[in-house]
Amino acid sequence: MVRHLYVHLPFCASRCGYCAFVVEVGALDRRDAYLAALRAELASERGRLGPLETIYLGGGTPTLMRPHRVAALLEDLAPLTAAGAEISIEANPETVDREAFARLRRTGITRVSIGAQSFQPELLAALDRGARPDQVRRAVTCAKRAGFRSVSVDLLFGVPGQTTAQLEADIDEVLDLGVDHISWYELEIKPETALARLGARPPDEDWAADAYEAIVARLEAAGYRWYETANFARPGHECQHSLAYWSARDYLGLGVGAVSTVAGRRWRNTPGLSAYLGQVSVDGVPARTAEALDAATSRRERWMLGLRLDRPLDTAWAGPPDHPEALDRLEAGGLLTAAPGRVALTRRGRFVQNAVLHELMEYA
Amino acid sequence: MQQDLIRNFCIIAHIDHGKSTLADRILQLTGAVTGRDMREQILDSMDLERERGITIKAQAVRVFYTAADGQTYQLNLIDTPGHVDFSYEVSRSLAACEGALLVVDASQGIEAQTLANTYLAVEGDLELIPVLNKIDLPAADPELHGRAVAELIGVDPSSVLRISAKTGEGVADVLEAIVARIPPPHGDPEAPVRALIFDSVYDQYRGVVAFVRVVDGAFTKGDRLVAMQTGREVAAEEVGVMTPTMLSTGRLAAGESGYLITGLKSVGDLKVGDTLTLARRPAAAPLAGYREVKPMVFCGLFPLDADDYPDLRDALEKLSLNDASLQWEPETSQALGFGFRCGFLGLLHMDIVRERLEREYDLELLATTPNVEYQLTTTGGEELAVRSPVELPPPTNIASIREPYVRCAILVPADGVGAVMQLCQERRGQYVTMTPIEQRQQIIYDLPLAEIVTDFYDQLKSRTRGYASLDYELAGYRESPLVKLDILLAGEPVDALSMIVHKDLAYGRGKALVERLRETIPRQLFEVPIQAAVGGRIIARETIKARRKDVLAKCYGGDISRKRKLLERQKEGKKRMKQVGNVEVPQEAFLSVLTLGSSSDSHAARK
Repeated sequence: MVRHLYVHLPFCASRCGYCAFVVEVGALDRRDAYLAALRAELASERGRLGPLETIYLGGGTPTLMRPHRVAALLEDLAPLTAAGAEISIEANPETVDREAFARLRRTGITRVSIGAQSFQPELLAALDRGARPDQVRRAVTCAKRAGFRSVSVDLLFGVPGQTTAQLEADIDEVLDLGVDHISWYELEIKPETALARLGARPPDEDWAADAYEAIVARLEAAGYRWYETANFARPGHECQHSLAYWSARDYLGLGVGAVSTVAGRRWRNTPGLSAYLGQVSVDGVPARTAEALDAATSRRERWMLGLRLDRPLDTAWAGPPDHPEALDRLEAGGLLTAAPGRVALTRRGRFVQNAVLHELMEYA
Repeated sequence: MQQDLIRNFCIIAHIDHGKSTLADRILQLTGAVTGRDMREQILDSMDLERERGITIKAQAVRVFYTAADGQTYQLNLIDTPGHVDFSYEVSRSLAACEGALLVVDASQGIEAQTLANTYLAVEGDLELIPVLNKIDLPAADPELHGRAVAELIGVDPSSVLRISAKTGEGVADVLEAIVARIPPPHGDPEAPVRALIFDSVYDQYRGVVAFVRVVDGAFTKGDRLVAMQTGREVAAEEVGVMTPTMLSTGRLAAGESGYLITGLKSVGDLKVGDTLTLARRPAAAPLAGYREVKPMVFCGLFPLDADDYPDLRDALEKLSLNDASLQWEPETSQALGFGFRCGFLGLLHMDIVRERLEREYDLELLATTPNVEYQLTTTGGEELAVRSPVELPPPTNIASIREPYVRCAILVPADGVGAVMQLCQERRGQYVTMTPIEQRQQIIYDLPLAEIVTDFYDQLKSRTRGYASLDYELAGYRESPLVKLDILLAGEPVDALSMIVHKDLAYGRGKALVERLRETIPRQLFEVPIQAAVGGRIIARETIKARRKDVLAKCYGGDISRKRKLLERQKEGKKRMKQVGNVEVPQEAFLSVLTLGSSSDSHAARK
């Protein structure tokens, strides 16, 4: 049975400059129809679900669904949900206030992840974010007061034009807020985004490495564990839903564009909202594109995912590397430590994870 | 046909002076090709030739022309290549003709190759018809260039024809001049057969097709012929002429040019320059052939993907069927694995072969720095030919090394003389002489061939804003103080990057090369020192920095396939690199050596 559920809530007020996700802008009048379709897809899938240990409501801007629709969805899920389950929702600062958080808390949500991205007005503007810095701060404060078990903040570095001083200021700000969990990603300039069309370039490798090292060093010094490539948590506040992905556990995704991986098969729902609504209303499931994960692919994915974590990779679980002879060389070079049945990246190794993976595995 | 109604001629022209256009126009005017069938530049049959505007293989086309005197003449147009690499092909074309059209661009005037080929024609006792082409261009100066051309070949300026092959203006006069001025062939139709092989191509269905000029006698389909130099006997399976498509005539007689289908499997079986005669009634002596072509430039060709090695061998075999001047032999490199050391006539020939291998045979290749052939005497008195730096013995075993020199003729406007001389000095050139031609200077330098096979031509063009033209011929071997420059990556010598240099230039080249390599080789997982060494002594060093960050930040449920595919794409990119020890080296790195020796402002990529 699948114990991890993702629900995609795609509505947004506007598309941010770096965004390449499945989002719907200017379609707020279809939220009720979308909720109905989600419930229909859930009805078709509920046979393979439960008891759910984690539920993650991601977007888009999930908070634009308003608390009453979220409540209705979670009521449907309640019979499938394990006691003490982690139920997360992503929130955009400008869409929530004290009242909204209080109502979300009453729906059973235990964890809020606030999409701050930065506290610097120039960088928020460069990213086309709708929130001002004070709204970001206020949203975090409100969320903490609303009594969620964990409050997380999402941040970005490597924004075009970002200075080292701005980076340090963001680190200061987020440490001041004292949240339970921080996700800090390097900005990816994906094709087809406004940033890419503007010709934005990523910072050079040395600047990005300095920034990344500074983030890791200062958050760790403040008591956060660097438990995954881009994620930091106070003890006990690791995101269980994300850990399920990194542990290669099965998960089901509901909603437009959502991805599922169950029993060696991965599929993605159609990314078109109209197609999704139409097909689910007729068939109960949307059109899907699927790929089968053979044993070799699964093994390579386990290495790819497992080495993101700070705990050692269990080779009995992941399977052998394609190039075991590289282990000694990488260990001698200070990039990993290997013991019988266990491989762990060193701090330096974690910064060059892709390059290490290419030494160990054959991604072809 | 009686010999006095036959004219064999070729066209001498510098690249882009309009030879192919004029040839096409002649075919059109004589009705050999109708307008509808007319593809641009019929004689250049390979795509590559058409793209580069260069004629590589000589061919012969027969057309009939009814002249103003009412007689119908058989004109055999023998095509010639226009590039210095192929000057030997020019000389063989000339040997099949009694006359030549000397085509000069009316706006550009005489160029270095025009001169070189003109001298060849004069030596061969050919009747030259000077033709100024492109008179329709606004920049044309037929007065000036007409006088210069007339002076060059010692004729009256009024005999210089003025035409535009593009518009067709004056082309009829060219045909009349061919008939009137070029002498007919004068072989003996009754004597034993002597036919000069001036070219051959391989056809996958018919085997080797030889292009011949019959000097004496006649032969017919079914005759058994003997190649007089090699003694090889062949059957004339089919005999005919190009019109320009193949037309079987069953017979070729004295004075005529045409083709001969032999069924042989390789062009190497019938040597160009050899004389064919009848087996049952052989001639007493062969015709004067021409010097055998020797490769002057060598490089290693390695498949990027080692699995392609057999395909590369097959492709080289196929190319050799048609290109007797291409040499190759297996070579093993510690850095690059299994490949072939190939010999070429020159840099253009090398480029063309490499492009054909990649384009027509879909191979991804890595070419090492071009080399020349060195001759050396060991301390033991043994004589060695060295075509690759790895073949060079340790310095203590070398008594002397000699390297090939070429005599370069460079034609340049007066304001480019300084730049040309500076370039030649930088390349160890020795000044010979300078003479004015038209309003330009012809500068003669003796230069080591090794200094020319890298980027000399590009440099010459860029430093003279494109105005200089170059021709060269081998000028023997000279002793030079040469050393082997080794490049070490992570402490290991990389054989494919080593080169032979003059000892005074070793430090500068070594320093420039390691700097270039540091720029070309991307950051690696570990820090990698790059060193240049001569005789075990390190003379320059740079460091490739270790990577500090290589991660994909986000990886959630929806990203897992995307991240895996990103790794797969990265892997694809890595495949385009060559793994040398633990260092991933991009292909460009192996070409870095080519653009050394140029001043720092001229890092422009080749071509």
